[in-house]
Amino acid sequence: MTPQELITSGILELYVCGALADEEHKNITAAINTNAEVKREVENIEQSLMELSKNTAPMISNNVWARVLATIRPVRNLQTNRSTNWPAITGWAAAIICLGGIFWMLNQNGDLKENILLTEEENTVLKEKINEASKTVLAHENVLEILRSKDFNTIVLPGNQAVAPQAFSKVLYNKTDAVAYIDVKGLPKAPEGKVYQVWSLVLDPLTPTSIGLIDVTSIAGEDLYKFNTIPAISQAFGITLEPAGGSESPTLSQLYTLGTVAP
Amino acid sequence: MDQPNELILEMQNGDEKAFARIYSMYSEALYGIVYSILKESDIAEETLQDVFIKIWNNKSSYDIDKGRFFTWALNIARNTSIDRTRSKAFKNSRKNLSTTNFVDILSGSDSLNQSTNAIGIRKFVDALKPVCIKIIDLLYFKGFTQKDAAEQLEIPLGTLKTRNRNCIKQLQSNVL
Repeated sequence: MTPQELITSGILELYVCGALADEEHKNITAAINTNAEVKREVENIEQSLMELSKNTAPMISNNVWARVLATIRPVRNLQTNRSTNWPAITGWAAAIICLGGIFWMLNQNGDLKENILLTEEENTVLKEKINEASKTVLAHENVLEILRSKDFNTIVLPGNQAVAPQAFSKVLYNKTDAVAYIDVKGLPKAPEGKVYQVWSLVLDPLTPTSIGLIDVTSIAGEDLYKFNTIPAISQAFGITLEPAGGSESPTLSQLYTLGTVAP
Repeated sequence: MDQPNELILEMQNGDEKAFARIYSMYSEALYGIVYSILKESDIAEETLQDVFIKIWNNKSSYDIDKGRFFTWALNIARNTSIDRTRSKAFKNSRKNLSTTNFVDILSGSDSLNQSTNAIGIRKFVDALKPVCIKIIDLLYFKGFTQKDAAEQLEIPLGTLKTRNRNCIKQLQSNVL
C-alpha cells in the first residue's frame, strides 16, 4: 500500500484505537516511522480522539495526582527515615548521664548526712566526758584549796594495831567553822551491811560524840567526806565499823583508826 | 500533536517531573475513556489513579519504536476500567446502564469538563450520524477489535473501516 492508500484505507484510525491485530499493528508502525505524511495523519487522528474523550469527562480532582505521587513514593520515604538522628541520640544520652549524676549526688548527700549524725552523737558523748572531767577537776581544786588553807589542820589517824594495822585516815579540821573533811582512802572497803562511823572524842573523861556516817549523805569528793557538826571541844577523832545505820556509842572492838588533835 | 518522546524517555528513567507533565497532557483524555465506561466520578477517579500507577510501574515496557504512547495508555485505561466493572461493588451500584455511550454522557450531564470548546463539541457530536456514534463508541471508547465491532454492528469489515474513517474525518474537521 502506498502512503496515500494507507491514509484513505481507514486502517490508521483503527491503529490509533488499538483495534488492530499484532501483525498489522507492526506494519503500520513501520510505515509511520518511515513516512512523515502517514505520521502526521496518525497524529491528527489521535488528537481528534483525545479532544473527543477530554470533553466526555467531568473535571478531575487534584487528589488523583496527589494519590498517584503518594503511591509511587513510599520506598524513597522509608530510605530517608532510616538515617540516624544523631542530635536526638546525643540529647537522650546527655539526659541519662544527667539523671545518673543526680542519683549519685543524692546518694552522696545521704551518706554525708548520716556521717554528720554520727559525728554529732560522738560530739555529745565527748561533751559529757568533758563535763565530767570539769566536775572532777573542780572537785580536785576544792580539795586542793582545803589542803592549802591555813584554817584547816591535818590530823593523821593511824590504824588500830589490834583491828587494822595497815589502815589510816586523815582529818582536815577547821576549828573556827566547826567543819571537818575525812579522807578515807587509807581504810579498807566497808563489808556488806556495815558502815564506818566518825566520832569526836573528849579525852578526860572519855566522851565520844557521833559526828556522822561515811556514806552518800556526807560525800564531798573522791574518798572525801564532809561533816558540819563538829563539837567545839574535839580532842581526838576515831572511826569505827558499825552496823548499817550507825550506833549510839562506838563499838570499840571495831575501832579502825584513832588520832588526837594537836593542842 | 507530536508525541513528547523526550518526556517519555525521562519518565522511563524515573523522572517524576516528566511523569507529572505526561499526566497533565494525557489524564483528561484517558479520564474520558474511564468515565464513559464507569460513569461514576468517585469510582472513575480511583480507576484513573490506578491507570497512572500502572503506567509508572510498567513504564519500561513501552517502546517508542513499536507504537503510539497514547494507544498504549489507552489500552491500560480501558482494561483497568473493564476490570473495575467486574468488581462486586461496581455491579451492585450499576445495573442497567450498559447501553449508555459517550454521547449519552455528553448530552445528559451538566457536570462535564468546563473547557471552552465543550459546548461546541457537544453541538458537533449531536450532529454525528448515529452510526458514527456507535462505531466510535465501540472502537475507541470500548476497545473492541475491528472484527468484533463489525460483528456487533452487522456490517462488513471494509465498510467498518471506511465509515470509521469518515466519522473521524468529520470529527477532526470540527475539533482541530
